[in-house]
Amino acid sequence: MSSEQTPQLFYELKPGAILPGDWFPGKIPSNIEVGENTVLDSSICFKHYFSVLPVGLRAGSNVTFWRTSLAAEENAFIEIGDYTYIANASLVCSERISIGSRVLIAGGVTIADSDFHPLMPAARLADTIALSPVGNRRHRPSVSTKPVVIEDDVWIGYNATILKGVRVGTGAIVAPGALVINDVAPETEVAGNPARVVQGVR
Amino acid sequence: MRENLVQTGKTEKDGRKFIEYDWYARGIPPNVVLGENVYLDTSYGFEPFHSEREIGFRLGEASGAYNMASFIVGADGMVEVGSYTVLGGTFIVCNDSVTIGSHCLVAWGSVITDTWAGFENASIEKRREILRFAATNAQRRLLPVDTPRPVVLEDNVWVGFDAVILPGVTLGRGSIVGCKTIVTEDVPPYAIVVGNPARFIRYLQPDDTPEAIEEAFAEYRKQ
Repeated sequence: MSSEQTPQLFYELKPGAILPGDWFPGKIPSNIEVGENTVLDSSICFKHYFSVLPVGLRAGSNVTFWRTSLAAEENAFIEIGDYTYIANASLVCSERISIGSRVLIAGGVTIADSDFHPLMPAARLADTIALSPVGNRRHRPSVSTKPVVIEDDVWIGYNATILKGVRVGTGAIVAPGALVINDVAPETEVAGNPARVVQGVR
Repeated sequence: MRENLVQTGKTEKDGRKFIEYDWYARGIPPNVVLGENVYLDTSYGFEPFHSEREIGFRLGEASGAYNMASFIVGADGMVEVGSYTVLGGTFIVCNDSVTIGSHCLVAWGSVITDTWAGFENASIEKRREILRFAATNAQRRLLPVDTPRPVVLEDNVWVGFDAVILPGVTLGRGSIVGCKTIVTEDVPPYAIVVGNPARFIRYLQPDDTPEAIEEAFAEYRKQ
């Protein structure tokens, strides 16, 4: 425990802030831009945030981050609109993840814009060395990345996964557990692994 | 036997209970009833617990909630868990009723919810209204889209990791839900279901007879 104070359920998200009573001994990064009434539960949301861009996270107003991992690599940029609610989800960003306004992201969701490791065996082997305790992360081979775009009014169900290069159109629904590897047209619902358009009502 | 830190921890005047050496300082709300010899890793799982019912959560004898098992319970929610059940890193989302029997195994990353399915039944205007409301209340509560539908796990059910059990579902006694399975319909007793969408595999022999249960306990008492 970082202090004797009882943790609050939510804190205003402000650049460079230290949250009184936060159970995690972290600090909010300075290179973020945030609108008003945007909150988070703990600085642990930024445990894996390493963006060195002038602005690595831009979040609108009235946004809720609850147990959200904002994992951003050095050159990553995460952009989020207004009234978006992210509950217990992971955003894993190497390049760019854009999330619109009034988006709901439920528990256990992962959104990633990268493959994390190279495809080919020799490059993957080199990656294990660069990532090892004796290696140098600057020598990592290049990894394929493609920005992810989640448009306005999209709702994403429990434990769904959205992978690199995907654009989820306005108002679309991603059903619980769906693994999304292709674009989702506006106002449609996708489900399953791999995710397909579903008709019908559950 | 695993040391029971809940019962060695202190209880405040308002009935809030504290686990000894807990890394999270908010404790367990007074309307949580813990049976004999329960085990809880931390009170962190009750951080999103907002039940206003007289009893909002009951954990039966010798059951345990491990790791980040979390109880996202609204004002009208009641979660009931039997005895000798393992909740390992499970998320229970409840705005009405989630009932879990005895001798169940529920693995990490799984979600058991009586709310929040069927987004497609809600208009975009309704969805926007829910998010606007969340931003105006201090607890950032999300109102249910649909009327919650109770979920029941009967005794001796096994739920694999990352599975999702959706509103209105009953998992029959002795059934198994494979990892990452999305369950939208009832599962009959002793059935195995897997996949996304879930499909039926086969039935198991119902060999968990009263004699078998007695034998399992007898074995334990010998130790």
